[in-house]
Amino acid sequence: MEKNNRFPFEEDNYTHNINRNNERKLDRRGFMKTLAGAAGVFAVSSLPWGALAAKELMGLGEKEYPHQKITDIAAIPIGDSVEFAFPGEHDSALLIRLGENKFVAYQNACTHLRCPVYWVKAEGEIICPCHHGKFDVKTGEPTAGPPRRPLPEIIVKVEKGAVYAVKVKRYEG
Amino acid sequence: MKAKNMRFILMCMVLFLNIIFTQKMVHQYFYENYKNALIYCALNLVIFPAALFLYKYDVKKLKGADRG
Ligand code: FES
Repeated sequence: MEKNNRFPFEEDNYTHNINRNNERKLDRRGFMKTLAGAAGVFAVSSLPWGALAAKELMGLGEKEYPHQKITDIAAIPIGDSVEFAFPGEHDSALLIRLGENKFVAYQNACTHLRCPVYWVKAEGEIICPCHHGKFDVKTGEPTAGPPRRPLPEIIVKVEKGAVYAVKVKRYEG
Repeated sequence: MKAKNMRFILMCMVLFLNIIFTQKMVHQYFYENYKNALIYCALNLVIFPAALFLYKYDVKKLKGADRG
Protein backbone atom coordinates (compact mmCIF):
# COMPACT_ATOMS: atom_id res chain seq x y z
CA MET A 1 0.00 0.00 0.00
CA GLU A 2 2.70 2.31 1.07
CA LYS A 3 4.49 1.88 -2.15
CA ASN A 4 1.51 2.45 -4.39
CA ASN A 5 0.07 5.47 -2.76
CA ARG A 6 1.36 7.77 -5.37
CA PHE A 7 -0.26 8.35 -8.69
CA PRO A 8 0.40 7.01 -11.22
CA PHE A 9 1.40 3.66 -9.91
CA GLU A 10 4.89 2.63 -10.55
CA GLU A 11 3.84 -0.85 -11.39
CA ASP A 12 3.40 -1.42 -15.06
CA ASN A 13 2.01 -4.91 -15.13
CA TYR A 14 -1.66 -3.86 -14.95
CA THR A 15 -2.44 -6.82 -12.75
CA HIS A 16 -1.90 -5.29 -9.34
CA ASN A 17 -5.61 -5.52 -8.64
CA ILE A 18 -5.84 -9.24 -9.21
CA ASN A 19 -5.67 -10.89 -5.86
CA ARG A 20 -7.12 -14.32 -6.23
CA ASN A 21 -4.71 -17.09 -5.70
CA ASN A 22 -3.60 -18.92 -8.79
CA GLU A 23 -6.04 -16.93 -10.87
CA ARG A 24 -4.01 -17.33 -14.00
CA LYS A 25 -2.94 -20.84 -13.52
CA LEU A 26 -4.43 -23.77 -15.36
CA ASP A 27 -3.13 -26.77 -13.56
CA ARG A 28 -3.30 -30.39 -14.60
CA ARG A 29 -6.49 -31.10 -12.75
CA GLY A 30 -8.19 -27.99 -14.08
CA PHE A 31 -7.30 -29.06 -17.57
CA MET A 32 -8.66 -32.57 -17.05
CA LYS A 33 -11.84 -31.08 -15.65
CA THR A 34 -12.22 -28.81 -18.66
CA LEU A 35 -11.83 -31.72 -21.05
CA ALA A 36 -14.40 -33.80 -19.19
CA GLY A 37 -16.76 -30.84 -19.38
CA ALA A 38 -16.04 -30.43 -23.06
CA ALA A 39 -16.92 -34.08 -23.61
CA GLY A 40 -20.25 -33.34 -21.95
CA VAL A 41 -20.86 -30.37 -24.21
CA PHE A 42 -20.03 -32.48 -27.26
CA ALA A 43 -22.40 -35.19 -26.08
CA VAL A 44 -25.28 -32.81 -25.49
CA SER A 45 -24.77 -30.94 -28.73
CA SER A 46 -24.76 -34.13 -30.77
CA LEU A 47 -28.18 -35.09 -29.43
CA PRO A 48 -30.22 -32.96 -31.85
CA TRP A 49 -28.28 -34.39 -34.81
CA GLY A 50 -29.01 -37.87 -33.58
CA ALA A 51 -32.66 -37.02 -33.15
CA LEU A 52 -32.90 -35.56 -36.65
CA ALA A 53 -31.14 -38.56 -38.16
CA ALA A 54 -33.43 -40.95 -36.29
CA LYS A 55 -36.49 -39.05 -37.45
CA GLU A 56 -35.23 -39.16 -41.00
CA LEU A 57 -34.61 -42.89 -40.73
CA MET A 58 -37.96 -43.72 -39.25
CA GLY A 59 -40.30 -42.55 -41.91
CA LEU A 60 -40.00 -39.03 -43.02
CA GLY A 61 -36.80 -40.14 -44.73
CA GLU A 62 -37.92 -41.91 -47.86
CA LYS A 63 -40.18 -39.39 -49.42
CA GLU A 64 -42.63 -41.46 -51.39
CA TYR A 65 -45.07 -39.26 -53.18
CA PRO A 66 -48.32 -40.70 -54.37
CA HIS A 67 -47.81 -42.07 -57.85
CA GLN A 68 -48.91 -39.50 -60.30
CA LYS A 69 -50.18 -40.10 -63.77
CA ILE A 70 -48.22 -38.17 -66.36
CA THR A 71 -49.79 -39.15 -69.64
CA ASP A 72 -51.31 -41.98 -71.62
CA ILE A 73 -48.85 -43.88 -73.74
CA ALA A 74 -51.06 -43.41 -76.76
CA ALA A 75 -50.79 -39.65 -76.41
CA ILE A 76 -47.03 -39.49 -76.73
CA PRO A 77 -45.27 -40.72 -79.88
CA ILE A 78 -41.77 -42.18 -79.70
CA GLY A 79 -39.20 -39.38 -79.60
CA ASP A 80 -41.58 -36.82 -78.17
CA SER A 81 -41.76 -35.26 -74.76
CA VAL A 82 -44.37 -33.93 -72.40
CA GLU A 83 -44.07 -31.54 -69.53
CA PHE A 84 -45.54 -32.26 -66.17
CA ALA A 85 -45.07 -31.25 -62.55
CA PHE A 86 -43.65 -33.56 -59.94
CA PRO A 87 -43.52 -33.89 -56.96
CA GLY A 88 -44.97 -30.45 -56.24
CA GLU A 89 -47.10 -28.46 -58.60
CA HIS A 90 -44.26 -26.01 -59.17
CA ASP A 91 -41.55 -28.60 -59.79
CA SER A 92 -41.86 -28.80 -63.51
CA ALA A 93 -40.47 -31.88 -65.15
CA LEU A 94 -39.98 -33.45 -68.52
CA LEU A 95 -40.97 -36.90 -69.73
CA ILE A 96 -39.32 -38.20 -72.88
CA ARG A 97 -40.31 -41.32 -74.74
CA LEU A 98 -37.17 -42.88 -76.17
CA GLY A 99 -38.51 -46.16 -77.41
CA GLU A 100 -41.49 -48.45 -77.52
CA ASN A 101 -41.32 -48.99 -73.81
CA LYS A 102 -38.52 -46.71 -72.80
CA PHE A 103 -39.31 -43.56 -70.86
CA VAL A 104 -37.06 -41.17 -69.00
CA ALA A 105 -38.05 -38.21 -66.89
CA TYR A 106 -36.09 -35.41 -65.30
CA GLN A 107 -36.91 -32.35 -63.33
CA ASN A 108 -36.36 -29.78 -65.96
CA ALA A 109 -34.71 -27.00 -64.01
CA CYS A 110 -31.19 -26.68 -65.40
CA THR A 111 -28.58 -27.48 -62.78
CA HIS A 112 -26.70 -24.34 -63.73
CA LEU A 113 -29.13 -21.53 -62.97
CA ARG A 114 -32.45 -23.30 -63.08
CA CYS A 115 -33.65 -22.29 -66.49
CA PRO A 116 -36.18 -24.74 -67.92
CA VAL A 117 -34.52 -27.24 -70.25
CA TYR A 118 -36.03 -28.60 -73.46
CA TRP A 119 -35.91 -31.86 -75.30
CA VAL A 120 -34.67 -31.23 -78.83
CA LYS A 121 -35.70 -34.21 -80.86
CA ALA A 122 -33.62 -33.42 -83.92
CA GLU A 123 -30.38 -33.36 -81.92
CA GLY A 124 -31.31 -36.07 -79.47
CA GLU A 125 -30.26 -33.91 -76.55
CA ILE A 126 -31.76 -31.97 -73.70
CA ILE A 127 -30.83 -28.36 -74.17
CA CYS A 128 -30.85 -25.38 -71.88
CA PRO A 129 -31.42 -22.19 -73.86
CA CYS A 130 -29.96 -19.85 -71.27
CA HIS A 131 -26.25 -20.63 -71.64
CA HIS A 132 -26.35 -23.51 -74.09
CA GLY A 133 -26.05 -26.23 -71.53
CA LYS A 134 -26.63 -29.75 -72.83
CA PHE A 135 -27.61 -32.93 -71.05
CA ASP A 136 -27.43 -36.55 -72.04
CA VAL A 137 -30.96 -37.80 -72.50
CA LYS A 138 -30.29 -41.30 -71.17
CA THR A 139 -28.62 -40.36 -67.91
CA GLY A 140 -29.25 -36.66 -67.37
CA GLU A 141 -25.50 -36.05 -67.15
CA PRO A 142 -24.34 -32.68 -68.41
CA THR A 143 -22.46 -32.99 -71.69
CA ALA A 144 -21.75 -29.38 -72.61
CA GLY A 145 -21.96 -25.87 -71.30
CA PRO A 146 -21.88 -24.57 -67.75
CA PRO A 147 -23.92 -27.21 -65.87
CA ARG A 148 -21.81 -29.57 -63.77
CA ARG A 149 -24.41 -31.75 -62.07
CA PRO A 150 -26.88 -34.14 -63.67
CA LEU A 151 -30.56 -33.33 -63.86
CA PRO A 152 -32.50 -34.95 -61.02
CA GLU A 153 -34.05 -38.08 -62.46
CA ILE A 154 -37.63 -39.03 -61.81
CA ILE A 155 -38.34 -42.73 -61.69
CA VAL A 156 -41.34 -43.61 -63.84
CA LYS A 157 -43.49 -46.67 -64.13
CA VAL A 158 -45.59 -47.86 -67.04
CA GLU A 159 -48.90 -49.31 -66.04
CA LYS A 160 -52.11 -50.03 -67.92
CA GLY A 161 -51.27 -47.91 -70.90
CA ALA A 162 -50.20 -44.88 -68.89
CA VAL A 163 -46.98 -43.50 -67.45
CA TYR A 164 -46.71 -42.72 -63.76
CA ALA A 165 -44.13 -40.74 -61.83
CA VAL A 166 -42.99 -42.69 -58.78
CA LYS A 167 -40.29 -40.71 -57.04
CA VAL A 168 -37.30 -38.47 -57.45
CA LYS A 169 -34.02 -40.26 -57.45
CA ARG A 170 -31.64 -39.16 -54.76
CA TYR A 171 -28.69 -37.17 -55.87
CA GLU A 172 -25.47 -39.01 -55.18
CA GLY A 173 -22.59 -36.60 -55.44
CA MET B 1 5.39 -44.33 -18.85
CA LYS B 2 3.82 -43.18 -15.64
CA ALA B 3 0.16 -44.06 -15.24
CA LYS B 4 -0.54 -40.45 -14.40
CA ASN B 5 0.67 -39.26 -17.76
CA MET B 6 -1.19 -42.08 -19.41
CA ARG B 7 -4.46 -40.77 -18.02
CA PHE B 8 -3.60 -37.32 -19.21
CA ILE B 9 -2.96 -38.55 -22.72
CA LEU B 10 -6.16 -40.57 -22.63
CA MET B 11 -8.06 -37.42 -21.76
CA CYS B 12 -6.54 -35.64 -24.73
CA MET B 13 -7.60 -38.58 -26.88
CA VAL B 14 -11.14 -38.09 -25.64
CA LEU B 15 -11.18 -34.55 -26.91
CA PHE B 16 -9.64 -35.64 -30.19
CA LEU B 17 -12.24 -38.37 -30.69
CA ASN B 18 -15.02 -35.95 -29.76
CA ILE B 19 -13.94 -33.64 -32.53
CA ILE B 20 -13.65 -36.42 -35.08
CA PHE B 21 -17.00 -38.00 -34.21
CA THR B 22 -18.80 -34.68 -34.32
CA GLN B 23 -17.32 -33.83 -37.67
CA LYS B 24 -18.17 -37.27 -39.06
CA MET B 25 -21.67 -37.14 -37.66
CA VAL B 26 -22.48 -33.83 -39.28
CA HIS B 27 -21.03 -34.89 -42.60
CA GLN B 28 -22.81 -38.23 -42.62
CA TYR B 29 -26.02 -36.40 -41.84
CA PHE B 30 -25.68 -34.15 -44.83
CA TYR B 31 -24.64 -37.05 -47.04
CA GLU B 32 -27.96 -38.58 -45.95
CA ASN B 33 -26.33 -41.65 -44.43
CA TYR B 34 -28.52 -41.34 -41.39
CA LYS B 35 -27.50 -44.68 -39.94
CA ASN B 36 -23.85 -43.64 -39.83
CA ALA B 37 -24.83 -40.28 -38.38
CA LEU B 38 -26.62 -42.10 -35.57
CA ILE B 39 -23.61 -44.31 -34.92
CA TYR B 40 -21.31 -41.33 -34.55
CA CYS B 41 -23.86 -39.61 -32.34
CA ALA B 42 -23.93 -42.66 -30.06
CA LEU B 43 -20.13 -42.74 -29.95
CA ASN B 44 -20.10 -39.11 -28.92
CA LEU B 45 -22.58 -39.86 -26.17
CA VAL B 46 -20.71 -42.90 -24.88
CA ILE B 47 -17.46 -41.02 -24.66
CA PHE B 48 -18.81 -38.56 -22.10
CA PRO B 49 -19.35 -40.99 -19.19
CA ALA B 50 -15.98 -42.48 -20.05
CA ALA B 51 -14.34 -39.07 -19.73
CA LEU B 52 -16.16 -38.39 -16.51
CA PHE B 53 -15.03 -41.70 -15.09
CA LEU B 54 -11.50 -41.03 -16.18
CA TYR B 55 -11.51 -37.66 -14.46
CA LYS B 56 -12.93 -39.02 -11.23
CA TYR B 57 -10.49 -41.88 -11.27
CA ASP B 58 -7.64 -39.47 -11.82
CA VAL B 59 -8.67 -37.31 -8.88
CA LYS B 60 -8.91 -40.36 -6.66
CA LYS B 61 -5.52 -41.66 -7.66
CA LEU B 62 -3.85 -38.34 -7.07
CA LYS B 63 -5.38 -37.80 -3.66
CA GLY B 64 -2.61 -37.73 -1.09
CA ALA B 65 0.06 -38.04 -3.70
CA ASP B 66 1.78 -34.90 -4.88
CA ARG B 67 -0.26 -33.04 -7.42
CA GLY B 68 1.33 -31.79 -10.51
S1 FES C 1 -29.09 -22.03 -66.78
FE1 FES C 1 -28.85 -23.73 -68.06
S2 FES C 1 -26.90 -23.40 -68.90
FE2 FES C 1 -27.09 -21.72 -67.54
